[in-house]
Amino acid sequence: MRAFWDNLRLALGTFLGNPLRSLLTLVGIVIGVATVITMMALIEGLSIKVNRDLGGLGAHTFEVTKWPSGFGRFNWAKYAKRKDLRMEEVRAIQEGCPSVLAATPMDDQGGQKVATSARETRPSVRVVGTEPSYPLTSGVSVASGRFFNETEALDGRPVVVLGLDVADALFPGLDPLGYEVRIQGRPFLVIGVLQKRGSFMGMMSLDNQVSLPMKVFQQLYGKNRSLDIDIQARDGQVFQKAQDEVTHLLRRRRDLTPRDANDFEIHTNESMTASFNQLSKVIALAGVGVCLLSLVVGGIGILNIMLVSVTERTREIGIRKALGAKRRRILGQFATEAILLSLIGGTLGVALGFGLTFLGQWVLLFPMQVPAWAVMLSLVMSCGVGLVFGIYPAARAAKLDPVEAMRSE
Amino acid sequence: MSEASGTRQSALIQVEQLTRVFFVGGEEVRALRGISFGVTRGEWVAIIGQSGSGKSTLMNVLGCLDTPTSGRYLLNGKDVSRMDDDDLAVIRNVEIGFIFQTFQLLPRETALANVELPLVYRGVPARERRERAKAALDKVQLTHRMHHRPNELSGGQRQRVAIARALVSEPSMLLADEPTGNLDSATGEEIVRLFEQLHKAGHTLVLVTHEPKLAARCPRAIRLSDGEVVADGPGREVALGTGAGVAAVTGGA
Repeated sequence: MRAFWDNLRLALGTFLGNPLRSLLTLVGIVIGVATVITMMALIEGLSIKVNRDLGGLGAHTFEVTKWPSGFGRFNWAKYAKRKDLRMEEVRAIQEGCPSVLAATPMDDQGGQKVATSARETRPSVRVVGTEPSYPLTSGVSVASGRFFNETEALDGRPVVVLGLDVADALFPGLDPLGYEVRIQGRPFLVIGVLQKRGSFMGMMSLDNQVSLPMKVFQQLYGKNRSLDIDIQARDGQVFQKAQDEVTHLLRRRRDLTPRDANDFEIHTNESMTASFNQLSKVIALAGVGVCLLSLVVGGIGILNIMLVSVTERTREIGIRKALGAKRRRILGQFATEAILLSLIGGTLGVALGFGLTFLGQWVLLFPMQVPAWAVMLSLVMSCGVGLVFGIYPAARAAKLDPVEAMRSE
Repeated sequence: MSEASGTRQSALIQVEQLTRVFFVGGEEVRALRGISFGVTRGEWVAIIGQSGSGKSTLMNVLGCLDTPTSGRYLLNGKDVSRMDDDDLAVIRNVEIGFIFQTFQLLPRETALANVELPLVYRGVPARERRERAKAALDKVQLTHRMHHRPNELSGGQRQRVAIARALVSEPSMLLADEPTGNLDSATGEEIVRLFEQLHKAGHTLVLVTHEPKLAARCPRAIRLSDGEVVADGPGREVALGTGAGVAAVTGGA
C-alpha cells in the first residue's frame, strides 16, 4: 500500500514535470473517450425522448398504417403495391369491431403556411385532417376553446384547432379564439388551441401543426391518399382483442387468403419503441467500435511515450535498483505512471464529452444525457489501455541491469 | 555507530577464489582470476589498481550489483554469490551504502528525497523516513541545503548528499567508487576528512580508487593487477610501493 502511494506520487511528479508532452500524448485517448461519451449521451437522450414521445398515443391505442415505420431496410416497391387505407375502412372498423372504442382517421400535409391578415408562419406547418375523436386517440387535450364536433366534421365546416407553436407565431400575446386564419388561401375559424406536446426526438415539433375536419382536408389536398388510423380499445383488457378484430376485418375486406401476409401495419407504442431501441443498439455498438479503435490509437501513444520515458530515465532506474528497488517495484512504478497517464486522459475525455453534451443540449437543442455507465466504462477502459500498453515498457525498465543503467547518460 | 564498534572483530566480507568472466564479442575476458581476502567490521580498506586491473568488476561484485562466475562471497554471514536479482536488491538495500564517483543522485528530486530513497525501498513510513534522512544530512552538515535539487548544489555538496544517502539506511558497509574523482583537490580533501570521521565512528569502509595518494591514507590497501591481488597490507606501503607489500595475503590487517 505504501509502495502504491510512493508510485502514485512519482507518477504524478513525472506528469507534472512534463505536462505539455503528457497532454499531447493523451490526445488520442481524450478524443476517443469524449466521442464515446457524446455519442452515448445522444443515444441515451434520444431513447429517453422517443420512449416519452411514442407514449403520445393515447391509452391502449394502436395505429394502423400502410407503410411500416421503423428503421430497417425495406423493400419499398413491395409496400407501394399495398392498397391504401380509406375512409370506408375506418367506418367499417368503427362499426364492425366490438372491442374498439374509437377509430380516428388521420392524414397530414407538411410544409404548409398558415396566415392571418397581419402575420404568416414559416412554410413548415403540418396540417392534419382528422375527426373529433383525435384528442382521445392521440392522448392530447385542448388547452383553450374546443376541438371540432361531429356536426362540423360531417359538414366539413372551415374550423381549425391550432398547435401551440402556430398560435404563438400568429397571435403573440393574444387569445386566438374567434380569429380567422388562412390555409391554402381558404379562411378558417380558430375554435381551439391544443396543449403543448413538445417535440418528437427533439427535432420535429409536435406543436407546429393545425388540425382540420377530414372532409375539409380532403378538399384541400385530395382524397387519393392512404390514411393512418389510430384505434383505441375499450380498455386495456381487450387491447389485444381489438387488434385481432381489426386485423381480421381488414384481411376479410381485402380478400386475403390465409397464406397472404397482412398488407397493412399495426403499431403499438411498444412496437415503435422496440424498433427505435433496436436502432439505438446498432448505433451504440458502432460507437463502442469507434471507441475501441481510438483507444488503441491512444494506447499506442502511451506505449510510445513510456518507451521514451524508460530510455530517458535509464540512469534513474539504475540508481533506484542499486539502492534496493526490486524488479516488481520498478515495474509498478512505470505501470502506475502509464495507468495514471491514461486515466488522466480518460478523465479529460469524460470532461470534454460532458462539455460537448452540454453544447449539444443547449446550442443544438438535441436531447442528450450522459449515462453513468458510459462514464464508468470509459474510465475502466482507459485504465485498461494504460495497463496493456504500459506493461511492456515497464517490464523493460524492471529488467535493466543497474551497472549498465547507471553508466548511461 | 556505537553498535558497530561492539562487533568490530567479526569478518564482514569474506571472498574466496572469486572469478568473473565476461564474453565480449565472442571473446572471453577474465576480469577477476581467483581473488580471496577478508574485511572485518570497522575496517577501512582501499582497493587500488590501474584501469583494467579488475577493480571495477570487484567493486560491482562486492556491491552485489553483479555476481561472480565462480567462487564464494560471504557478506555479513550470507552467501550472496548465487542470489537472484531481487534478493540482491534486498542485500544492497540493507547491507551496502554506495558512494559513486558521479554521485548518482536523482536530478529531479531534492537532496532530502534523494537521501530518503533507500528507506523508501525498505518500506519505512514517510514520517520516519524524513526524520532519518534529516539526521543523515545533519551528519554531513547539509541540513541547510536539504530542499535543493542536485543541480543547485556544488560537487562537494552533491557527494555529501550521496554520503548521507549511503549512511541513512545504517548499512554494514560503505562502498565508495572513486569518491573524489569528480572533485577538485580541496573539495576532495573535505570528503576524505569525512571518511576519516566515519571510520573513527566505527563504519566499515571499502574505497575503490586508482589514486595512490588516496589509498595511502587508508589503514589497509589491496592492490589489484590483471584480476589478481598483488599486494595486501598497510595502505601507505601498498599504495606508494614502500615496504614489503605482501602478495595475496588473506585475512585481516
